[in-house]
Amino acid sequence: MNKILSVCPYCGCGCGLYIHVEDGRITGVSPSRTHPVNRGSLCVKGWNAHEFVAHPDRLETPLIRDAGGFRRATWNEALTLIAERLEGIRAEHGPDSIGVLSSAKCTNEENFLMMKFARAVLGTNNIDHCARLCHSSTVGGLAAAFGSGAMTNSISEIADASLLFVIGSNTTEQHPMIAMHMLAAVDRGATLIVADPRRTQIAEFAHIHLRHRSGTDVALLMGIMNVIVGEGLVDADFVRRRTENFDSFAEELKRFTPAAVEEITGVKANDIRRVARVYAMEKRSMLFYAMGITQHITGVDNVRACANLVMLSGHIGLPMSGINPLRGQNNVQGACDMGALPNVYSGYQKVADPRARRKFERAWRKRLPAAPGLTIMEMMEAARAGRLRAMYVMGENPLLSDPDINHVREAIERMEFLVVQDIFPNETSELADVILPAASFAEKEGTFTNTERRVQLIRRAVAPVGEAMPDGDIICALAARMGYSMSYRGAYEVMEEIALLTPSYGGILHHRLSEGFGLQWPCPDSSHPGTPYLHRKKFAKGLGTFIQVDFLPPDEPPDDDFPFLLTTGRLYFHYHTGTMCRRTAVLEREEPECLVEINPADAERLGLKDRSVVRVTSRRGAIEPRVLVTSRVPEGTVFIPFHFIEAAANVLTNPAMDPGAKIPEYKVCAVRLEKIRT
Amino acid sequence: MKREWILEKNHISYWLRQLRKDRDLVGPLRNEGKDVVFMTVEQIHEVVLDLPASLPSPKEFLFPQYESMLRFNVSGKVPVAGPGAKTVSPGACVECSREGDLLDLADRRRRLVFGVRSCDVSAVRLLDRFFLEGFRDPYYEQRRKNILFVSIVCNNPDPTCFCIGLGTGPYLEEGFDIQLTDLGDRYFVQASSAEGIRTVKDMSFLFRRPRKADLDDQYEVFLSAKARFHKRISLESSRRAILEGRVKDSFWRRVTERCFECGGCVYECPLCTCFTVADRRYPDAVERIRLWDTCLFKGFTRMAGGILPNGKRMLRTKRWFYHKLVHYPEVFDEFGCVGCGRCAVTCPGRIDMATIATEMKGLDLDGSEQRP
Repeated sequence: MNKILSVCPYCGCGCGLYIHVEDGRITGVSPSRTHPVNRGSLCVKGWNAHEFVAHPDRLETPLIRDAGGFRRATWNEALTLIAERLEGIRAEHGPDSIGVLSSAKCTNEENFLMMKFARAVLGTNNIDHCARLCHSSTVGGLAAAFGSGAMTNSISEIADASLLFVIGSNTTEQHPMIAMHMLAAVDRGATLIVADPRRTQIAEFAHIHLRHRSGTDVALLMGIMNVIVGEGLVDADFVRRRTENFDSFAEELKRFTPAAVEEITGVKANDIRRVARVYAMEKRSMLFYAMGITQHITGVDNVRACANLVMLSGHIGLPMSGINPLRGQNNVQGACDMGALPNVYSGYQKVADPRARRKFERAWRKRLPAAPGLTIMEMMEAARAGRLRAMYVMGENPLLSDPDINHVREAIERMEFLVVQDIFPNETSELADVILPAASFAEKEGTFTNTERRVQLIRRAVAPVGEAMPDGDIICALAARMGYSMSYRGAYEVMEEIALLTPSYGGILHHRLSEGFGLQWPCPDSSHPGTPYLHRKKFAKGLGTFIQVDFLPPDEPPDDDFPFLLTTGRLYFHYHTGTMCRRTAVLEREEPECLVEINPADAERLGLKDRSVVRVTSRRGAIEPRVLVTSRVPEGTVFIPFHFIEAAANVLTNPAMDPGAKIPEYKVCAVRLEKIRT
Repeated sequence: MKREWILEKNHISYWLRQLRKDRDLVGPLRNEGKDVVFMTVEQIHEVVLDLPASLPSPKEFLFPQYESMLRFNVSGKVPVAGPGAKTVSPGACVECSREGDLLDLADRRRRLVFGVRSCDVSAVRLLDRFFLEGFRDPYYEQRRKNILFVSIVCNNPDPTCFCIGLGTGPYLEEGFDIQLTDLGDRYFVQASSAEGIRTVKDMSFLFRRPRKADLDDQYEVFLSAKARFHKRISLESSRRAILEGRVKDSFWRRVTERCFECGGCVYECPLCTCFTVADRRYPDAVERIRLWDTCLFKGFTRMAGGILPNGKRMLRTKRWFYHKLVHYPEVFDEFGCVGCGRCAVTCPGRIDMATIATEMKGLDLDGSEQRP
């Protein structure tokens, strides 16, 4: 019996866990008792993170499409074919006819290698990953306001906060170990304010629960700020010394009186005043948000509004004071940090900046493209238009996770060549020309960066199944075949290159991570202890900027034909497109099917009971899930989790995007419900 | 029958080294993360003897989280290559009996688990009754037959420990294999089971008879251990409160609001035995596995047609506590809790046994009754 310290592969909490190994097989997991995030606890997904590794569905050999489906192939054959086809398409249509999707499930090292592969080997900046769909508005919004788009505090600070403002985050279900710290804070007397249209579990503990209409977050936040300014609760000293552009912003605020905001959001003016007073007056106030803020066509504005709120009251730059976007995937923070984005290299160094580009060109000995590439949604659009002809997808499943998947399917079917690299076959790999088997988190070395910027080692517990290889090794082998040497002795060597080229990771090296629980960036040099909270004394970009925001209603509000507002999200027992959790006995048993949540009043009007089958139709498609009658959702709103291919919520969702971040509006679209049978 | 000896501390490495020759020696080791976990011991000097914090329950060596039960070979041959073979662990398969195409994968490895606590040994005694009385669970039985526990008298209970109120620790009078009491420069060794006594006697030259001074020192350790508990909890007062109807559903509803449905209390509990069974179809074989499960999940008792007899979370939380506080005493005449405090370590909502029992104490007006 051996126990190997690793990091949970599910959400962005980054809990420390032990993988139990006996005779080369995984026999279980247990939580680390001294880990600063989970302190001896795990959520149900963490407790069951061991099972899928040995699941029979694991991809074990490369597969190549032939007339009758897929046939097994050798690595040599598969990689040669990929290299030939990608080179052919590049020669004929130029490098920008190829797109790459990197993965927030893979390690920092692998994302860095993928980013290098796209830019130095393929010669395109068309690289993106699922952060586009969850927190691209954060990366853009907070970077403009503060110069850095990440959680500003540490998770271990939460329990000592005196006020928690949670907006658009179902924390107990989606970041359970962060919710654990929140509960501890409440137990110690902290005030909890939750703003969420749904009555989530965390809302049960809230002293004030604001149930605003979906998509009216900007108005709500502006209303709160209007009161803060109007009642003289602004931290004037902080605003004067550390921010800019306050005056014109204050002018903008005047329109958002509590009464006007009540009209838009449905939240009582008095509640808005109460929240404004308690938030501004308390010290040690932490603001948390997640997809409820970001997944809107006004995602960036929502984030900016949050940023303005914390600056207005001076709740940033101190321990237990800050703005905390809760990142979804185990390594989505890291994948962004590593520059698996179309416009930046690692450490958010812009590709359009000639100095940054020259630095990477010199290190990689290759001319690099200067123009920013395409985002996920733009790649799909380009594929539909015939401009993007090949795609290399690592550890993603756009055919279930992207909005309006009927449209995505069309786009992918039009591509000439699709490579999917994953641990399990999924909806997207069914359309692939070549499928490559990757190693799971328990079968490789590397680092994950959790939502509080903590870079932690994962360790190899067992050998990869079959012929599966770590994603990083696959990329390097393919690069070699395409005439560019990417040769490393191990993940630690890749990390050395990352440290060399990325200021915020400058001191993060594997040997420093092997004892204890990692380092939090920025960590500029090898003697730096890491940074528990950001923006101390000054913002990363100098002065914090109040950026104008304006309220814009959702792109597709309910109307007479489609009278219900559909909002989508995740379930506690499942994770994203379900490739891992739906192959885990207990998790799948708990939530085996898609249920649409509907308010009892609406259900009665439509003659629906629990488990009735209903057709849910939007302007883009229809699905037929069963019904769950619950007052968690308000009247006029329905909620559908997006995990289930059998009734894929993203058939319905609206691909309308935030103009800046290109994040689609998963949280609001209009649907119609028809009873099929009770 | 209990036998007693003295073992000089200088001799313990030698003793363990000898015991390791025909057993897998598992002990508490500190690892990269500064946690102490039970692992196979490579370097005996690395064994952490002053167990600083509560450890995962040793239940995993008798009833692992993921256990292969059998393998049915579809092709009719014992798998030698391909995806089938990779999952048959060589260690487990050496002795596996082969009947036709069915591979019985029961684990027959001999283990010595060193450094467990008294509460764990008490828990194993109850696990034995659950798994081996009436229907005998063959997987558990095989592992149990081949395991030997060396427990240590706790002289540094965690703040979460409350075995003292249950008689399951900090030391035991009987029912252990081998129990060590740390007397500073030497161990007071007691063996109670036949296997335990044999194990000591096999190397009797390392041990000597205890003298009066040793017995006095041991008694002093017992006294000091008993004095160090932070938590003094009588589960009997909780049981009374429940049976006399003083714990209303509103109480359980309030408790349940804090439940994260992580299953941690069940997974960590040395006495919880919920499991589920799944069949995994490989290209040339089918493997049956069993996995830890928990009765706190609604699907655990889901019936045909999706009916959930315990659909409300409150009912399931209540059932867990009732099982340990009411049903266990009815069936086994003992509480289904040994006071190890692991649920208190792992529960993210802080609704562990100790906390809830303390809250219920307020509901119990006469706490003067006898234990069952």
